Amino acid sequence: MHNAFSRTPVDDRTAAYIAEIHPRFEDLRQVSAQLAGLLVLAASGSKSASPDHPLLKSARELHRSTVDALRGARPTERAQQHHAALLQATNALSEALNAARDVDIDAVLAPLQAAHAHLQRAANELPGFEMVEFKQGCCAVL
Amino acid sequence: MNKYSIWVMEYAHVPQYHLSGLIYGAHNQGHRRLPYCYVVIKGGGQVAMVDVGYNHKAYGEVLANTYGVRGWHPPSEVLAGCGLTPADISHIFITHAHFDHMGNIEDFPNATFYLQERELSKWVWAMSLERRFRWLMLGIDPGDILRAVDLARQGRLVAVDGDRDDVLPGIDLRAAFDTHTWGSMFVRVRNDPSPTTPNTWVFAGDLVYTRENLRGDDPENTKDPQYVPVGLATGSQVNLIMASEAMVNAAGGDYTRVIPVHEERLGQVFPSRTTEAGLRITELALADGEASRVQ
Repeated sequence: MHNAFSRTPVDDRTAAYIAEIHPRFEDLRQVSAQLAGLLVLAASGSKSASPDHPLLKSARELHRSTVDALRGARPTERAQQHHAALLQATNALSEALNAARDVDIDAVLAPLQAAHAHLQRAANELPGFEMVEFKQGCCAVL
Repeated sequence: MNKYSIWVMEYAHVPQYHLSGLIYGAHNQGHRRLPYCYVVIKGGGQVAMVDVGYNHKAYGEVLANTYGVRGWHPPSEVLAGCGLTPADISHIFITHAHFDHMGNIEDFPNATFYLQERELSKWVWAMSLERRFRWLMLGIDPGDILRAVDLARQGRLVAVDGDRDDVLPGIDLRAAFDTHTWGSMFVRVRNDPSPTTPNTWVFAGDLVYTRENLRGDDPENTKDPQYVPVGLATGSQVNLIMASEAMVNAAGGDYTRVIPVHEERLGQVFPSRTTEAGLRITELALADGEASRVQ
């Protein structure tokens, strides 16, 4: 649920931060989804759920580039909680990616759930961030 | 004679939904009320559902403020309309993996979920693509994927590979690949002990939204009907049309027994009532000994 704060207008500098960081938020959401996808394969017994799966390689590359971009960001005071939540998400995803070397479901799932919670918290802090792409999606076109 | 009692339960609605979202190419043709519903099938000591709705806790405010979704009620309140609780549900058939169909997984602690394996595997494939392909992921909630992992670990997620007969007696799952989504399916209920019964219902998921998808401009067209696909296909419109034919055939050729759960006019066609909360309950069938929930 969005907090009331996320609905208030933002200043120009915060708007610029939002525009800069939004793709990075989507990248972290994607990394989270990729890891979850690998876990679904593993949990349903798929033999393709190996540490060599291309999904994992893609997730690692995306995570690396996102971490670099986030560290270079300069959040305004209004955006500090948002930025902190994203950094916490990257840390949790880093832990999940390390655990994924052995595709240990339990070891990956816990930090992955934590990352998801951090991303959800970030989405609640500022306008324009959603965990699901609704635009043109199921509520817009069902 | 009915093996199962069947209800279509509304849990939210959009007061004014654009018709072009429902019917391919129907631009600038106005709006209509759009109910969000799931289906309850009760009989033989089991209670099944077709889809579970969306996760209001996470998205309710966004859906209300941005897309005008109104009147959401939790499964505990909705199911009470037919004398049930979420804990009573034993089987849930997820027609496809969009957030508004499988987002409420956590509310059903005792259910086993059935989903096409292709829906899972193609998700995973889409996730491996680069950012410019992200349209392929629309409507997918990473949180749902995490919840699916949990279900799989608990042995409560069954990945179905194509058609499957008699998941419960008389209830069949029918794959409709590369249509609305990669691994969509519809559910057929043969609601009579006879193997040749005409007493069959088909639950379409989002393969059709409204009667016009099955009949053309005139939803009661019996002389010269045509199939018109829904507005959104990750797969193809051709496959949607062929799936429409498959559903009508699965219903013994009777299009009125193919149930689009977003069809507002279900309440005019079948016995229905509106609860105090403003939610419609539509009763399609009553098993022996079951009391009506709409009278």
